[in-house]
This record gives sequence, C-alpha cells and structure tokens, in this order.
Amino acid sequence: MESLRVERLSKNFGGVQALHEVSLSVEAGERRAIIGANGAGKSTLLNLINGEITPTSGRVYILGKDVTRMPVYDRVHLGVGRSCQINSLFLHISVLDNVLLALQATQPFRFQMLRSISKYDHLFANAQELLKARGLWEKRGVPVIDLSYGEQRRIEIVLSLASSPKLLLLDEPTAGLSASETSDIIDLVRSLERDISVLFISHNIDVIFSIAERITMLHYGQVVAEGAPEEIKANPKVKQIYLGYK
Amino acid sequence: MDFWVTIILMGLSFSVLLFLLSSGLSLIFGFMNVLNLTHGGYYLIGSYIGVSIYKWTGNFLLAILAGAAVAGIIGVGMERGFLRHLPGQLLDQVILTMGFLFIFTNLAKWIWGPVPQMAAPPSLFARSLHIGAYSVSVYHLVVIFAGLIVAIVLWFFQEKTRFGAIIRAGIDNQEMIMAIGINFKLVCSWVFCLGTVIAGVSGVIGLPLLGAYLESGSEILLYAIIVVIIGGLGSMQGALAGSFLIGIIHSFSKAFFPPLAFFMMYLLVIIILLVKPSGLFGKRS
Amino acid sequence: MKLPEQLLHKNRVSFVPYIWVGLVLIILPLFLSPYLLYLAAKILIFAIFAMGLNLILGYTGLVSMGHAAFFGTAVYAVAFLTVHYGIGSFWLVALSGTLGAVFMALLFGLFIVHLSGAYFLLITLGISQLLFSIVWKWRALTGGDDGLPGIPRPDLGLPLPMGNDTYFYYFVFLIFIGSFLILYKLIDSPFGHALVGIRENEPRMKILGYNTWWYKYVSFIIGGGFGGVAGVLYAYLIGIAYPGDIGLMASVMVLFMVILGSPGTLACPLIGASLLITLEYIVSTFTAERWPLILGVAFVLVSMYFRGGIGIYLVRYWRKVKVLHGIPKS
Repeated sequence: MESLRVERLSKNFGGVQALHEVSLSVEAGERRAIIGANGAGKSTLLNLINGEITPTSGRVYILGKDVTRMPVYDRVHLGVGRSCQINSLFLHISVLDNVLLALQATQPFRFQMLRSISKYDHLFANAQELLKARGLWEKRGVPVIDLSYGEQRRIEIVLSLASSPKLLLLDEPTAGLSASETSDIIDLVRSLERDISVLFISHNIDVIFSIAERITMLHYGQVVAEGAPEEIKANPKVKQIYLGYK
Repeated sequence: MDFWVTIILMGLSFSVLLFLLSSGLSLIFGFMNVLNLTHGGYYLIGSYIGVSIYKWTGNFLLAILAGAAVAGIIGVGMERGFLRHLPGQLLDQVILTMGFLFIFTNLAKWIWGPVPQMAAPPSLFARSLHIGAYSVSVYHLVVIFAGLIVAIVLWFFQEKTRFGAIIRAGIDNQEMIMAIGINFKLVCSWVFCLGTVIAGVSGVIGLPLLGAYLESGSEILLYAIIVVIIGGLGSMQGALAGSFLIGIIHSFSKAFFPPLAFFMMYLLVIIILLVKPSGLFGKRS
Repeated sequence: MKLPEQLLHKNRVSFVPYIWVGLVLIILPLFLSPYLLYLAAKILIFAIFAMGLNLILGYTGLVSMGHAAFFGTAVYAVAFLTVHYGIGSFWLVALSGTLGAVFMALLFGLFIVHLSGAYFLLITLGISQLLFSIVWKWRALTGGDDGLPGIPRPDLGLPLPMGNDTYFYYFVFLIFIGSFLILYKLIDSPFGHALVGIRENEPRMKILGYNTWWYKYVSFIIGGGFGGVAGVLYAYLIGIAYPGDIGLMASVMVLFMVILGSPGTLACPLIGASLLITLEYIVSTFTAERWPLILGVAFVLVSMYFRGGIGIYLVRYWRKVKVLHGIPKS
C-alpha cells in the first residue's frame, strides 16, 4: 500500500527550475529521509506534496488519490500532517490554544458557531494527552512566544501530529535543537505508530540514520540516489556530492 | 470634433495629475511598505499654498516651488516624526495617515475658508492653440507635456541612476538592501519626500484645472487608490497605465453620463480583481 | 470529565463588569435629558455597528475601511421602504434592511476576502465610496446630500409607542444585549477560535487543514449583518438617511471606534463607541468647526501612543481594582 506517490514532478519558479522530473513512492509505514545540499529542492518537494505550491508538471498521489490540484487544507483531511522548517506557531496565544486549534481542524465541529468550545470534552482530553506526552502540559497556559526555541519546536511537531496523519511530513524537525532535544525528537518519531508514513528532510546524520529506512537524495532538483541507508552511504555519487560536507 | 479633442485633452491632463499622485503613493508603498492615505492631503497643501503664492506674486513657477517645498517639508516631518515608528503596521498607519488628512483639510478650511479658490492658468499658457480646424487649450497641452517629461525623468531615474537602483531593489527585497549597507531609514525619508513633493507640485499644476478646494484631499486620494489597484501597488508602469485609463474614462463618462463615471471605474476595478488581483503590473504578494 | 481548563475557557470572561455596565445602561434614562438619551441610544447603535467590525477586524484580522457600506445600505433600505413605499410593518422593514446589508457582504465578500492586507483595505475603502457616490448623485432616488427624511419611529405592535425616546432607548438596549450575546457565543465557539487562528497565522491554519477563505467570508458576512442591524436602528433613531452614513467618513469613524476600544476584545465596541461619540459631543459644544481637526489629532495620538487601544487599559484597571478589594481571581 502506497501512502505517497509522486510522478515526474517538476516545479519552475519563473526561470529557476527547482525540481525536475522527480518521481518517488513511499509505502505505508515507511520512514523516508530526503537529503541533499541546500537548494536541492527538498523543501520544494515537501511543499508540492503538502499542497502549498502547485507543480509546473507531474502528479501527486496521496493514499491512492490524485491530489495534484487539491488545496493544502483539503489534503490534511486525507491524512497529511506537516511540520514547518521555520516554526510557524500562534505566538500570542497559549500552548493549549495552539494545540486545540490544531486538533479542532479535522473535527466536524470546526464550523460550529454557537456552542462553546468548552463543551467538547474529548478535544481538551486529546490536547492534554498530546501535551503531556511531550512534557508541555505544565506550560499549557503560557503564550508560545514566551517559550524557549526547543519548546516551540516541540509544539511545532505536536501540531503536525494533531490531525492523526497517515502521512507525516517533517521539514528539518531538529533544526536548531540541542543534542538532547534532537534525540528526543528521534525517540518521538521512532515511537510513532507503524501505519504512519514519515517523510522527513534532514541534514543531521544521526537523525537520518536513526530513523530512515530508505533515503532519497536530491541534487539540483533531481533524484540522484535512492535506497537503503547502507547503500546510500556507499554510493560514490553521494560521496562525491558530500565531499567537503561533513 | 473640437468637443472630442477637448475631452481627450482634459482626460489626459487629469491623467497626469493622477499619475503624479499615484506614482508617489505606489512608490511609498512599494519601497517602505507604508500605505500613505495622507497623500491626497499633500495635493491639497500644494494647491492651497500654490494658489496663495500665485495670487500674491503672480508668478506661477514660484507657486509651484512653494507648493513643492511646503509639501516636502511637511512630508518629511510626518515621516520622521510619526510614520517611521510604525513599520509594517497597516492598521496604525492607516489611522495615522487618515488623521493627518483630516488635520490638513480642516486647517485649510480654517485658514482659507470653505469656498474653493480658482486660478487662471499663467498668461503664457492661458490661450487656445489653433491646430487646423481645432482649437485646443494650451494649458492642457502643457500639463500633458509636463507629465510626459516627469514620467520620462522618473523612468530614467529609476532605471539608470544608482538611487533608482536602490529603490527598485528595495521594492523587491527590503531586508537585502539593508543587509548590503544601504542606510534604509535615510532612503525612506528621501523617497517619502520625493513622493510628497511631487504630490504638492501636482496640486499647483492642477489649480487651473480643478482649483483649490477642501474635498480635493480625499477625492484625489480615492482616484489615486483606484489607479493603484488597477495598475498594481509598487509599480511605476502600473501608475502610468492606471492613470491613463482612469483619466480617459473619467473624462468621457463625465461628458456623456456623469453618474456612470464611477461605475466604469469600479467595474474596471472588479474586472482586475477577478483576473489579476495584484494589478496590471503589480508583483504577486 | 471536564478539565479545569475547559471551565477556565468558559469563564475567561468574568461577567461581573458586564453586568455592572448593563445595570448602568438600564437605569440611564432616569438621569438623562432627552438629547443625552438620544446620544446614549446612538452609542448603543454604534456599538452594534462596531461589534460587526470587531468580528471582521479584531477577531479575524481583516482590516476593512468600508464597514459603513453595510450600515448605510440598511439605513437607505429603511428610508426607501418607509418613505417611498410607506411600509409600516417594522419587522418587514428591519428584516429587509438587514438582509440588504447581508447581501452586500455576500456579494462583495466573494471577490475581496482572499485579498491581502493593503489591497483588501483599499478595495473596502473603494466600495464604501462607490456606494456613497451612487447615493450622493442619484438625487431622484435618495435626495442626494439633502438626505432622505421622513422615517417614522417604528410601530412594534406593542402598547409602547417608539416615538417616546425612553421606550425606543430600551428597545435599542434590548437589541444591543442580544447582539452582544450572539457575538459572545460566536467568539467562544470553535468557529470563533478559528478566526483568531486566522488572524494570528493564516498560512499555518491552512496547513492545519482549515479552509480559511470560508471562515473569512462567513465572518465578513456576519459582521456585515451586525452593521445592517445597526443601520436599521439608526435610521429609525434619527429619521433621516444621509449619504454620510454609507461613505468613507462613517467607515473611518467605526474603524476608529474599534481601535480605541482595543480590537479583539468583547468590551471593545461599547468602549470605542462611548468614547468617540462622547468626544464628538463635547467638542461640538465648543467648536463644531474644528471637530475634524480634533478627530485627526486623536487619530494621530492613538496610532502613535495607544496602539492597543484604550480598552485594554480599562480591563487591566478593572483587574487591579479587583485585586485591591481582595476579590479572588476567577
């Protein structure tokens, strides 16, 4: 069962070819890493999968459905969750409110206009569960802007999980985190349910090799290598590109 | 046939006034990210100062310089003292600039009274030219010609000078030009000053066409806004194209069916909104 | 099993100050001269008007400079129906007026709600002015800048004549309370919370799965509806429709009211409306000619030095008062 298939995806930004005929497929439950130098097109690929931008050509299939023309918010309801490379949170409201917003998004009552939000017990219960799991429950009343970067990053990940996605897209989840915070994220991803597919971008070797079951490498917008971690490590092309690079 | 020529010329000279105003509005927004709703107020200042100086000295050129100077000085004052402290805050900028527009308009009423002041064009241009069978007002031609000159100068300035390059770069990427060491705040003051000076000048030039009147601040602002929506915020070509369109439409509809004038313009706005929301030449936000 | 957080959510608004204000509003007619009572009614009406804009701007984050388009449409609808067509039924006229406003919001919102900050602002400004110029020029229909007079006080079918200022005031007060409660429910609902999310970070909301356009559009329509209700009441209050009710000036006034009152708070509309209308009244008794100047100065001062509005200070002051009196935090 494929959770994601991308066929000959290309994206041209007014003269800059960010992605060229990229094809890949991710199985249900797979942990796939997307690696490559800066500007290789990794974030562009994620943006195309998630729907924030539309491709110049090619198709995107999520859980078997052609979502190429589907807007970003509709894809979430199919089962896509995404964390952003740069924290994109609701800074001036509390941690709890941030999570409630994320949880509410896929609930039928998100259009409810006359009932108080406090009537939805399971919404709050789910929020409590999510926050307790990441050790943020004590800070639930704190405005996000007052949290440390590491804590904010954790919220960013929590938000991406709120919709119980089947396909989780993580854009450099450990960017800017300390070693202990990084291993915390690694544990989180490894503890995810096996039926969730995880597609993540990372520059961190530990993160990549701890989590990835398959790795796809992009270079100048094209796939140059794909395979199991050991194959990639041994791949001469990969070595060549990473020469002088950690 | 005289009639058509007159309408076209009136339309084009109104276009010039609009272009002068909207290019300033557009530039200030594009470069500084400031929506300067006071801009019509600088037109007003220019027209009132101009009409007084003109009546006092009989010298139209002096009136232009006076209008430009006062508008520029007040403009720089407003930018440095107030606008500078509200970077990127749309709501506050809008309230502030509206506040200044009210202040300028009411002060004008206090000083000059509620009755509009007309001025005849300078005697040099106060006649009609006979081209073949048609008789055209020379002043209209002069205004149109002046407008073309200004457009060309601005184009040259924008494309060929270093300052112009800074402006174009700033419109494109504000952070970057700060990063390469341009004194952004200083350039902002200059840009704002330029915009208000041009607005003041257009106020004086507009005297023989529209006169100096209290509603001019908000009226001409509104036209400038329509021009800028149609042409695209931040674009000179947009201001040019938009002013041209609005000036002609305005003139023609006023001649044939006055109430329709507004409809036509707003219809154009709606079409643009549907087809290309960022305006004819605007950059996609 | 309810978490204390849920209860906190519900009680986030301590109702006590609102009850005090409500009581004050109820006993007001006992103390005020007819003219001041008229002003009080005007304040409540503009508070309803500002509630609509507070929803659109304060909670959803759409800076609209054309809110008077809805207000004015309702005012003129009432004027046409009562003066030109002599329709006596209040409920029919009020419904038509409100629906007229809602229709405007439905129509215009469709094309503009997706626009970003400055463009949205300019377009709403344009719409308000477009309607103004139509109303102003179409003298045959609207009386132009002479206005359309002759709107009688409504006949509610009750033994209480609305021509009596006190009864009319209470009628307006009831509608005000109703509007406030509706707004409170909206804000407290999942929909209301989503609006705040959109204001704070719209792109993230989309990534979370919200169709933000829809939320903005609905908020725009509801806000327009509030404006319409206010417009209906205003037409009946002053008995005449003026182009000024639909144009830029009115839009700017209600915008300033929302800013004064601190956008995005429940107390905002009443605070803003009270402050501005009271200020106008005081200044007009001394120097009506210079009112725009004073108003302009007020704009400059508030935008420079009271950026969050004055409402927040009042809320903080109330909290301090409670602490001083040893009232436990809710």
